[in-house]
Amino acid sequence: MTHWQGKLELTYAKQEGATQMIHALNHAPLKVQRPFYPEGEQICHTVGLHTAGGIVGGDILMQNLHLHPRSEVFFTTPAASKIYRSNGQQAQQQIEITLEENAILEWFPQESIIFNGADYCHKMRVNLAPNAVFLGWEITRFGRTARGEQFMSGEWRSHNEFWQQDTPVWIDRQWLPGHPETVQSLHGLANSPIVASFIALGLPNSTSLLENARQLWPTPPQRGEFGLTTTQNQGLLCRYRGHSLTEIKQRFVTLWHFLRQNSLSRPKLHPRVWM
Amino acid sequence: MDNPTIPTNSASLNPETLSLLRLLQLASPALPVGAYSYSEGLESLVEQKKLDNLHSLCSWLEQELRYGAIRLETAILLRAYHSTKAADGAALSRWNAWLSATRETQELREQSWQMGGALLRLLVGLDSQFTPLTEAVGSPCNFAILFGLAAATWDISPKETIAAYLHSWASNLINGGVKLIPLGQTAGQQGLTQLYPIILQVTEEILQLEDEDLASCGWGLALASISHETQYSRLFRS
Repeated sequence: MTHWQGKLELTYAKQEGATQMIHALNHAPLKVQRPFYPEGEQICHTVGLHTAGGIVGGDILMQNLHLHPRSEVFFTTPAASKIYRSNGQQAQQQIEITLEENAILEWFPQESIIFNGADYCHKMRVNLAPNAVFLGWEITRFGRTARGEQFMSGEWRSHNEFWQQDTPVWIDRQWLPGHPETVQSLHGLANSPIVASFIALGLPNSTSLLENARQLWPTPPQRGEFGLTTTQNQGLLCRYRGHSLTEIKQRFVTLWHFLRQNSLSRPKLHPRVWM
Repeated sequence: MDNPTIPTNSASLNPETLSLLRLLQLASPALPVGAYSYSEGLESLVEQKKLDNLHSLCSWLEQELRYGAIRLETAILLRAYHSTKAADGAALSRWNAWLSATRETQELREQSWQMGGALLRLLVGLDSQFTPLTEAVGSPCNFAILFGLAAATWDISPKETIAAYLHSWASNLINGGVKLIPLGQTAGQQGLTQLYPIILQVTEEILQLEDEDLASCGWGLALASISHETQYSRLFRS
């Protein structure tokens, strides 16, 4: 069986008020749609694609995004990623993102579905220059829940690291060995198939942001647990563990829209690719 | 009394016994760093009635030891230990920054810094040889980093340092559980004893862990600690 060594390299620059994709390189199965500008030329919308059905053991996918000063990018994917049961080898995804001064990246890929028995390692490192902004989420479903599947074997690692000027600000190295103990225990998944994190870095005034963001929902979610805290350097972090993709996407979109309006002076956005 | 010196040439204090006494001091619940004032999420779990007996308390602690933040933190403690032995101040500073960045919530990060600050003042008051090392760590400094630094300086073995650190952590949270659930003192000590095989096993794992494998399963702890940050009435600090 052949393994993919996919690659996607994108570079953006702000030129006369417009964010242009000045360099794009891709190796299958990764591809990128032609950039588009539904909010005007200052924000480049980019949809990254995985053109094979899913990710298998031995696959190595690399993505590299570089935003030059003041460039503004919204990045998403059109569908969930699937990580299949391992054939004995680990599947890897490595993402390196560099945000130069005053660049803004909104990074909202759709969820990953980790099949039972998958062996998957996702590594993302984001380097932020002064005043660069990163807003993003990671949403993971363990097992094909509709079939009653749980993540009882395999291994999942997701290392997300955020550095500001060579100092680590937020290092989130999540590890879940597939096992009844980790899936069922209160300490691990508590029988919830979905975990998700939302992170915002580089926005000013996060203490009041945190207080205001906590007021966005009058009640706790019905099908999961949800909470907000701060990282170093005034980052905002949100965690979810629960049963409903709809519930968490609604909450994350509410939070995202709140941050967009309050901190970036941008209107709410409803990306068409999600509909 | 400033910087008391210990008569190391005394026949009654051979170096191994001295190391043992130093370790007992460092890992003692009486070490004035305020560990007893933190519950690391237990208080909100008890309030939500998710932890309500010795069994559920011990399985939480067992999971945390096997997969959680304490395992990751202790692995970084070991790196601070080795950096101290190598007199590598830059590495101490790097691991300290790294540990700060991995703390799951504001509350857990501030706990680590507050206890680190208290241990820093204590070490500098105990022994002047700590001053250049602690300055290399940088500020704010994490408790686990200074624990590793002190253990290395006092020639305690890495394995005993790790086991004692885990024991001291577990003992503190067992006491938290005894107050919160509440449980009898004997039940608490039985729970602690039950954790010994896991503490020993995890100690061996931590000694072998590669940098690439530094990771933890943080969902339960992060949500419990976040919930504690806004809990209305609390015995334990946030």
